[in-house]
Amino acid sequence: MPPLSFPTTPIARLTGHSGIVHSIAYSSGSSQYILTGSSDRTIRLFNPGKAPPTSTAPSAGLINKYSAHGYEVLSLDVNTANDRFVSTGGDKTVFLWDVQTAQTIKRWTGHAGRVNRGVFGGEDDSVVVSASYDGTVKVWDVKSSHYKPLVTFDEARDSVTDVCVFDAEIVTASVDGRVRSYDLRMGLCSVDAIGYPVTSVGVSKKGTECLLSSLDSTVRLMDRADGTLLKAYRGEGFVNKELKVRSTLGLNDSVVVSGSDDGMVYAWDLLEGDVLHRFRHSEMREVTGKVGVEKPGKKDVVGAVAFCKTRKEWASAGGDGNVVVWGMG
Amino acid sequence: MFKRQRAASPSSAQKRSRTGGAAPQVIKLGTELPPEDEGDDGAFVPVWKQTVTDERGRRRLHGAFTGGFSAGYFNTVGSKEGWTPKAFVSSRSNRNKDQAKAGTQRPEDFMDDEDLAEAAEMRQLETAQSFAAIGTGAADAPNDDFFGLFKTEEDTIGVKIIQKMGWRRDQGIGRKVRRAAHLDDNGLNSSIKDRHLFAPTDTQSMSTFRQDQRKGLGFQSESRLSRSEDDTEEKSSFVLPFLDRTDKPRPTKKSAPKQTSFGVGILNDTGSDDEDPYELGPKIKFNKTIGKEKKAKKPSKFAKAGAGVSHVVIPKKDSMRTTASLSKLSLDGKAPLRGFAFATEVMFQPNRPKFPPPSIPPGWTSAKGVTPESQRGFQTVGDAAKSSALDAKSRAALLGESQLPGKSIFNFISKESRDRIATVTGKVNLPQGLGESGPEGHSQDTHKTLWSFVPVLDKEIAAAALAKGATGWMPYAEDSAKRTRYVEFLELRAGSRQALPERASGMSVADWAKELEEFAHAARVFKPTTGFMASRFTSSTTSQSAPGSDRDDDTLLRAAKVKPTDPAEEAAKMGMYGPMTRSQITFHSTRLLCKRFNVAPPPDVPFAPETGKGTEKSTTEDAVNQTAMDEMKKAVLTRGLPDRPAWMNQTNVAVPVPETAHAMVDVEKNDALDKGRAPDEVFRSIFGDDDDSD
Repeated sequence: MPPLSFPTTPIARLTGHSGIVHSIAYSSGSSQYILTGSSDRTIRLFNPGKAPPTSTAPSAGLINKYSAHGYEVLSLDVNTANDRFVSTGGDKTVFLWDVQTAQTIKRWTGHAGRVNRGVFGGEDDSVVVSASYDGTVKVWDVKSSHYKPLVTFDEARDSVTDVCVFDAEIVTASVDGRVRSYDLRMGLCSVDAIGYPVTSVGVSKKGTECLLSSLDSTVRLMDRADGTLLKAYRGEGFVNKELKVRSTLGLNDSVVVSGSDDGMVYAWDLLEGDVLHRFRHSEMREVTGKVGVEKPGKKDVVGAVAFCKTRKEWASAGGDGNVVVWGMG
Repeated sequence: MFKRQRAASPSSAQKRSRTGGAAPQVIKLGTELPPEDEGDDGAFVPVWKQTVTDERGRRRLHGAFTGGFSAGYFNTVGSKEGWTPKAFVSSRSNRNKDQAKAGTQRPEDFMDDEDLAEAAEMRQLETAQSFAAIGTGAADAPNDDFFGLFKTEEDTIGVKIIQKMGWRRDQGIGRKVRRAAHLDDNGLNSSIKDRHLFAPTDTQSMSTFRQDQRKGLGFQSESRLSRSEDDTEEKSSFVLPFLDRTDKPRPTKKSAPKQTSFGVGILNDTGSDDEDPYELGPKIKFNKTIGKEKKAKKPSKFAKAGAGVSHVVIPKKDSMRTTASLSKLSLDGKAPLRGFAFATEVMFQPNRPKFPPPSIPPGWTSAKGVTPESQRGFQTVGDAAKSSALDAKSRAALLGESQLPGKSIFNFISKESRDRIATVTGKVNLPQGLGESGPEGHSQDTHKTLWSFVPVLDKEIAAAALAKGATGWMPYAEDSAKRTRYVEFLELRAGSRQALPERASGMSVADWAKELEEFAHAARVFKPTTGFMASRFTSSTTSQSAPGSDRDDDTLLRAAKVKPTDPAEEAAKMGMYGPMTRSQITFHSTRLLCKRFNVAPPPDVPFAPETGKGTEKSTTEDAVNQTAMDEMKKAVLTRGLPDRPAWMNQTNVAVPVPETAHAMVDVEKNDALDKGRAPDEVFRSIFGDDDDSD
């Protein structure tokens, strides 16, 4: 059954970053705000309602700017209480910020390489799980003042590109082509071989499936219970072979949206697996028809996409430093 | 105020003169002082002349007295303005100290009279106080021969050492004792609180003198003060001085008060007011009394050589007699031991009382007979030993000892060989050769055949090494002859050959044996790896050049042999996701982590603090990862239940285990060790030949 409607109209454009925007995060709750992290080492908090795409103001909608990272900001995550968020970056640190004061509450060091992803986890967002280029996944305690991680998982034989926490399970994706799911209740880690470097992992709302992006230009939906492939999403012209591109589930887990190496954003129907829409991020429009072959530059990558949980709205972040928010129009 | 009215003094004109107006008379008495050439006559003296100098022309009363700052100018500061540094130049060739001007400044320049006097005093040589002059005066030395030299009052080295270590005079030696202080001599013991550590009391030394009186051990005569007259009576000359220190008063040296220091001490104070203690200047010691005092003459500090030695002239024949008598004094005619000499005379002890022998009761005869000495010559111990005819066995028999167990070699050798030995050595008292056979365990076959050199090698290993050689590579690629020998050795051990491995020409037997050992070792090393090990390693292969192809094609780069890929990987590549791609491993999370996730910790979680390693990690660098081993084990053990690890199978109520319970450790039993052996299938699957050998 095709989705009812898909937001295809750009309703906001968040500018200001001077480097590739690596990650977007919607705030929790009503998802009023968007946090963006970029390679210019800053994190910006935007109100997309105040930044219509036509505005020419230099940083429309910018509410706050958080600068503490020494290197590019690679990932962001907001806690459910909406008062803290975690950011990780190339400086091998994991920062826990207080939104109001714009100060870091905690800074965790311990990784030996850039930290690709940091997410909240645990009951009450009491831990932060971080995945790093050094092949380890570390769990940091928010409540206590330990400077060492609670636990370190180092089974991965290569960089861990993404991590996702679902209930009491930590799902990690690594360049060694494996997705490891650590079940804390059972003390069991299920390893699924994918065959290709996995750059993104996300778990569905039910928790029974997970969505993986891998560097063979394929997005896969896997069954978490037995590791079988449920659906693979490919597209003619969908290219994801080199760069880390994220994919996400949206519209109540009915669509799969993913960025790509060449500046296109693809949206697939989850069940059918066919391409629903294609967007060009830089032009802020949907592209129909044949996509011309162009030489994609480095700046054209759409590294991050995020779907709003409450509305039909999603955002894409591009290598040009802009974030485009797409809505129903 | 009331003031007494006084008569007004007469004016000078009214004063009457004594002489009544005659010519004033001045009475002169004494001789006139000579006119002063020097001295203060009140004339104006310029400042520079007002300086005070001493007899050497040096200024006294340096700047500090006059308010200047240049104190110390006189004492080498250099100038009245202060110290001017002198350029110091010295080089290897041109040493400063060797310069002519080195002598321009001498220490004596800076010394005043006190210093000079002290320096002069220092130059006087003095012997140590205790040095009794060599051989002087019989008055000083006690009346014995040699020990006068040792009888000094000086502390011995030992005393000095222990004094350095903390001992003091009249203390005892040993550990400090904890007792109450003996403040009063009446022996009252105060309470325990006042106990302190004290040095032990010195022991009463027993002097080793001859008791000429019958007053008992350790008796000291009452009169302690005047000891000098008792000395000669009660003590013999044999007293060792350091034992009996309490008795003899030490002659203290009354040191003359230092001539260079101020004041007089209490002891030296004679009460005379004439001596000003603070008088600067040398203490001039004039005799203050008339009449010469007899000064006791101190023994001369310098040894007068030969003063005490009285040369005794020994006539020549006497000396010869003394040496000739030496031989007679030896009992058995032998020279004395080295370092010993015969005494020429009995030690003379004048004080020894001579007691007459006891009187024998009349009519008593001795029960013992006296053997006439002439009958038997004197025999030394050595000679007596040599003359004995016993040997060990007969002595043992004499003593009644039981025969020791054990056989001698003569039990085993044959009669003929024993006789041969007897004739060769000349000893006829050898035991008989019995020619027994060896004890059990002794192998008769002592022939070292060549077969014994060929090392043992398991058949399987040899076969495996051969198999490896067939498919892959054989060692000794550079030496084909050696390789063939290697192959032959393997074949021998594998059973397909029976002959002794051949020895290369020019190789000794020892070398050949060593080569065979080498082969055995190589076979063990180079046998093909099985199973998991094989997948870890690849052997390089050289591409077989087709016959006739030109050599130019040879490149150093060889195509790497494709690694045997992980089956999971292969399946994933093919798209067959599912059981083939999924594997499971266990890991241990920490307590705190589970707490954060609101999850019950598994029962075997280590009760460790915050930080923890996630999974078990083998610390040894195994070629096979521990987790991989676990994987394999899991694959075997949990075939039916892929989701639950083995330990979960046992406890069915794992989930509701409360967080605080941790595993009970029972010291008595240990299931890990006590459980029975795992089924053979497990072992075979792990260690045995797999189907996935390369």
